[in-house]
Amino acid sequence: MRALPYVVIAACYAVVPFALGGNDYIMSLVVAALTLAGIALSWALLGNLGGMVSFGHAAFFGVGAYTSAILAKDMGLPVFLAMLAGGIGAALISVVTMPALRLRGPYFALAILAYAQIFRILANEMTWLTGGAGGILSIPPLPTVFGFDFSGKTGAYLVILTLLVLGVLAYKLIRDSYWGLALKAMHDSEDATRVIGVPSTLLKAAMLVVSAFMAGVVGAFNAHVIGFLEPDYAFAGTWSVIPVVAAIFGGYRTLSGPILGALVIYLLDQLLFKNLMPQGHQIMFGVLLGAMILFSPSGLLPLLTRPFARSRREATTTPTTEKRHAAAA
Amino acid sequence: MNHPARHLACAAAALALLLPAADLSAAEFRLGSQIAMSGALARVGMATNEGVNVAVEMFNRVHQGRHTASLITVDDESNPAKAVAAIEQMAPQVQAFSGGYGSNIIGPASETAERAGKVYMTSGGVASELVKRGLTNFFRINNGEGYSRALVGMLNDLDIKSVAILHSTKDATQEVAHQVEEGLVANGTKVSFHAFDPAISDFKPILHKVKVLDKPDAIVMVGYENDYVGILRAARVMQPGIKLIAGVWSLATGKMANDFPELMQNVVGTSTLPYPVAFTDPEAQEFAKVYRDLYKKSPDYLGVFGYVQTRLLLDAMLRAEEAGALDQPGAVAAELRKSLNDTLIGPVRFDETGDNPEFTHRMGQHQGKQVVLVWPEKAATGPVKFPATPWTTPRVASE
Repeated sequence: MRALPYVVIAACYAVVPFALGGNDYIMSLVVAALTLAGIALSWALLGNLGGMVSFGHAAFFGVGAYTSAILAKDMGLPVFLAMLAGGIGAALISVVTMPALRLRGPYFALAILAYAQIFRILANEMTWLTGGAGGILSIPPLPTVFGFDFSGKTGAYLVILTLLVLGVLAYKLIRDSYWGLALKAMHDSEDATRVIGVPSTLLKAAMLVVSAFMAGVVGAFNAHVIGFLEPDYAFAGTWSVIPVVAAIFGGYRTLSGPILGALVIYLLDQLLFKNLMPQGHQIMFGVLLGAMILFSPSGLLPLLTRPFARSRREATTTPTTEKRHAAAA
Repeated sequence: MNHPARHLACAAAALALLLPAADLSAAEFRLGSQIAMSGALARVGMATNEGVNVAVEMFNRVHQGRHTASLITVDDESNPAKAVAAIEQMAPQVQAFSGGYGSNIIGPASETAERAGKVYMTSGGVASELVKRGLTNFFRINNGEGYSRALVGMLNDLDIKSVAILHSTKDATQEVAHQVEEGLVANGTKVSFHAFDPAISDFKPILHKVKVLDKPDAIVMVGYENDYVGILRAARVMQPGIKLIAGVWSLATGKMANDFPELMQNVVGTSTLPYPVAFTDPEAQEFAKVYRDLYKKSPDYLGVFGYVQTRLLLDAMLRAEEAGALDQPGAVAAELRKSLNDTLIGPVRFDETGDNPEFTHRMGQHQGKQVVLVWPEKAATGPVKFPATPWTTPRVASE
């Protein structure tokens, strides 16, 4: 079982491009689903480790997208460097949102939502930089490196897959570190952890920066894949809401749950529900989400792994017949 | 062999010889339409798509037994990424695309069509940036200049001296608002400018400024349906002392006349058609008939645009087929650029960028339950009521 994640990752790199690479449509849906997965992962990191529920990740997604698009198009920066700069831009802008860390629960969620709206208005108003409401067309696509064209669907898939793998890795490293332990403890009682010397505000701020960086890089990736940006699109509520839904659907307290959730909800919606019900297919998705919350509140991944977890538990806790007899004797 | 049997054998042989010939000349024209059937642009997308469907139906009726046209429609959910996916989904199955609504959606969708080497024809994107990208397969039958030319022309003819422009900060609306401003200022009209965020619904503060500070002769709205309704509701409350209130697309339509009859009285907007539709030339009458057959209602201007863009595309594909070049790269695009067409929206000619420099709109005014074409004079179906607003008693300008 421990090797399973590595097998899945290897299959994603080795099998998927060969199996689906010839179908641009399917690959474009997979890339869009993984883009949502990237934001879902960054949202889950902030929610699970930082204990903060954000309704405004569109802010970081949009800032990352604009930073990268402007640097690549207007200043000629290589696209991959511009994407990295997009992440840094989003991380820097997250500092502006840090006063919201004083708030908790729904107040924090709403404050971040307000920031997303502020950035959208700024992008509208700063016409000299962002093109205003007209947006930016013909953003440079992903480049060709060592003869491999990343602007194609397979190339884009490999890029977003790599970003996700790096994101999961970073998430795991943080979670398994002392900082992760402190963050988990803060979940139960922030006051108690402060008493024993945990710098809770600093840790939460750090999680916000990391989460913003991840969302920013994904936003930058999306800008170069779609080739177009406008304020309403870059800061759309969709980038805040759908990843939250995906993370909760997949299991936001797990590492790969948000990714699985995004893949399942997006691909089911586009490939199955949309064909069954060309208009209004979102209602089927709503029903599915409602059912999932009712029957498995912790998400899809825990639901799928529950039988394995049970059998593992039974294997380790159920005494063998001989042991029971020995104990009785 | 007796005579009847010989005749039958001859007829069968002749038929057998003719059949392959008929098969050779028959062609199937496969179109794809990526358009908003849900999401923010659903209403305009569906209305345009109705026109696209009518064009395909009319083509099949005219060429029955010889050529056929088929159409695949995919809902882009008013989302650029899904529009790109829709084009990629359809590209292997179709020869060209007719559809799209919203410059933000058309931009990435048409770039995807360009990569696939297929013509992308639209009437849903007026942003000037769309025709500056150097795409060889992108075509549109309308543009922002056509809307602003009509609006400015009518205001000048009515001798309006000062105008307050209220515009949404969306791409296309902002651009058209600036074009209207330039046109009015060039004619010596005093202009005040008020941008509003597409998300706002309370327009009273802006109307208050217009009433107290600007005191214009006319208000020009450049936005979308919800914006117009919001502005007109606020204007009815504030009642600024203006002579006319006018706007651009989605305003002088049958839908607005039916949904908001009192709110729309005397309001002027760009319109290709009067409402109820009164067609005179045979093609237009046939269009209206097929439209009614399919949708049990009168066509609106979006349907006309959808029809015209698809008709032009199918005609070009037919010419390319007759030249034996339909499947050759660039053949349909070359055919589209070749001719000047007289259409239901006026002359259409495509330049190198794929734009239609001939496009000029008409102005229609809500009068009772009708939309009367009032400008230009040669297209007018009735006189303009001026001065007239939804809250004042109008008189006819010619009186």
